[in-house]
Amino acid sequence: MKKSWFECHTRVVRLAHIAQVFGLALVFGAALTGFSAGAVAAEKTLKVGAPLPLTGPLSPEGLKQKEGYDLWAEQVNKTGGIKVGGDTYKIQIIYSDYQSNTPRAVQLAEKLITVDKVNFLFSPFGSGATKAASAVSEKYGIPTIAATASSTAVYNQGYKYLFGTFTPNSTLTTPLAALVRQKMPNVKRVAILARNDLFPLAIANVMNGSAKKSGFSVVAFEKYSIGTLDHATTLTKLRATRPDWVFATGYINDLILIRKQMRDVGLRVPVVTMIAGPAYKEYAEALGKQAENVTSAAWWHPAVRYTGGPVFGSTVKYNELFQAKYKKIPDYAQASSSAAGVILQLGIQKAGSIDPKKVRDALASLDAKTFYGPVRFGPNGQITSLDPPVFQIQGGKPVVVLPAAVKQADLKPIK
Amino acid sequence: MLYLQILVNGLLLGGLYACIASGFSLVWGVLNVINILHGSFIVIGSYVGLLAHQQFGINPFLTVPVAGLILYGFGYALQRGVINRAVGQPVLVTLTLTFGLELLVNNTLILGFSADYKKVTLENPLGQIELGAIFIAVDRLLAMVLALVLTGILYWMLRGSRLGRAIVAVRMDREAASLMGVKVNTIYAVTFGLGALMAGAAGSMMSMIYPISPLTSTAYLGKAFVICVLGGLGSVPGAIIGGLVLGVIESFGSLFFSAELATTFSFVLLILLLIFRPTGLLGRRGYE
Repeated sequence: MKKSWFECHTRVVRLAHIAQVFGLALVFGAALTGFSAGAVAAEKTLKVGAPLPLTGPLSPEGLKQKEGYDLWAEQVNKTGGIKVGGDTYKIQIIYSDYQSNTPRAVQLAEKLITVDKVNFLFSPFGSGATKAASAVSEKYGIPTIAATASSTAVYNQGYKYLFGTFTPNSTLTTPLAALVRQKMPNVKRVAILARNDLFPLAIANVMNGSAKKSGFSVVAFEKYSIGTLDHATTLTKLRATRPDWVFATGYINDLILIRKQMRDVGLRVPVVTMIAGPAYKEYAEALGKQAENVTSAAWWHPAVRYTGGPVFGSTVKYNELFQAKYKKIPDYAQASSSAAGVILQLGIQKAGSIDPKKVRDALASLDAKTFYGPVRFGPNGQITSLDPPVFQIQGGKPVVVLPAAVKQADLKPIK
Repeated sequence: MLYLQILVNGLLLGGLYACIASGFSLVWGVLNVINILHGSFIVIGSYVGLLAHQQFGINPFLTVPVAGLILYGFGYALQRGVINRAVGQPVLVTLTLTFGLELLVNNTLILGFSADYKKVTLENPLGQIELGAIFIAVDRLLAMVLALVLTGILYWMLRGSRLGRAIVAVRMDREAASLMGVKVNTIYAVTFGLGALMAGAAGSMMSMIYPISPLTSTAYLGKAFVICVLGGLGSVPGAIIGGLVLGVIESFGSLFFSAELATTFSFVLLILLLIFRPTGLLGRRGYE
């Protein structure tokens, strides 16, 4: 017998209600865990807005940034807050999940400024979203620290309120190319494979220049689209150009797949460089032996040794505090996010005020030492004072091969 | 030689595509339900493979039946308890329902396993077969063979067994099948379970091939859509043909043009096919 339309309909509606309640519960749960970390009762509170991709494809990155911010805020509040004139401010970070959807990141940045009335802003993840959201903070004159944006296109917009903790992409590729040239003179032909996305493509283009400048010949430059499930044919094409060095860019899932498929199609070369991914422990865990001797470069590495600055004091101390809280070793994304907090704090202290304009001017002329490295910004707001390390996975762990001052091992070829 | 290698790459990729799509095709064809959960089913299968490998060191190929059975149970229960209540409704209603369920299941997976990418990497990788200058990845080859075998069994079952004929009968005329004493709701649940089984089996195999994360479910689902429309809705051999054709076309597309256009290709193809042959390569009205 057929059920009446009404009966079926109410059942569906009831199901939808159940689904909705579950969904709401999830959202509330997420919101509670998100906010509780930053919510602290204090006479004076400094609010910092942080739109992050806490769910969706970029959530691994967003969660790393959150860990970095949380550690900074927790340490500041534990040590009595930031003293400005006669006042003491505790930090409250207000997170907003933009679900890996860049247009929403822009909306949420605006909401954080206009509705939540944040004093300062931390940028969303990556060059693309940072660039998009920077227009909003510029409009309202809110000093904004970008912890994960490196492409110069982000900083060359003539904005006054945006400051970034990553040096330009070329500071990663130039030392790397020079190092390979020096240590492995037989390596001559470079093949580049880039994800067609703002940062991965930008760094591949920069590598193209660095390689040529160091005397390599670039024999292939291929792009793949976001969401590619197969690289076999592209890698076969690269194999036909007989490269000695494969330079692949993308995010961790792309790079795991590319490394695996290089083996599948018999593309064996002495030097494999991948950016960004090998700095994360998940990369070596997922690939096992296939990760061995893959090189990469990043803006920071737990093996660097710097001292100075508030809260953390030194790289060693930072690593200790991070490990105590999260039971793992920090990578550059987390460190850069904590550094963004430290830099904001330095700017406020130097300005002696939380007035956005004064803090902005203090940041622009900042010259300080931190656990993350020396901090000075160029006229466009991008940091100029870092010396990014080159590293290689050896024995399942990333070890620094450059700069010489913090070197842990020598560069090795892939057998 | 290069062309031969590209053809081999395409066929191996096509084998994986067939794996991804066959269960999806069955559910769409028989139940007229577009199962948005399909991608997450594959991911769950991958986690079964991953956990078995991490905990007991079992090769993911051996957990294929386990993953299949777990997903069968899950799929059966889901259809019986939830989707059956809406199965006679217009396709948009069931689409919305499975979409909602997908949100729940996928977010639960993220909470349980985190969004980090993981992968099964064997102590002794299966390696490659080298025939002159042609490289064949053994894990992909095995996945392809298994996809063909599983789909073959499904095809035989639909044509030859009582259960299979009952499934086809329900597909053809639900009311008449019901009058002949076929328990329609049970058949629906079994069919949905079989679709989930195929997804779980595929997922377990692919835990060695693709990085595993709840986030990959949408990529699988997107491919399943294209392959089903390409091969013909509800046609089991169509999923195989659609998968292989798509794999080969994407591979030659990346060779002649560029890898960044490979996805564009598959969708241009889809649009052309919808214009000129809306039933797909092997699709026809009715079922089997």
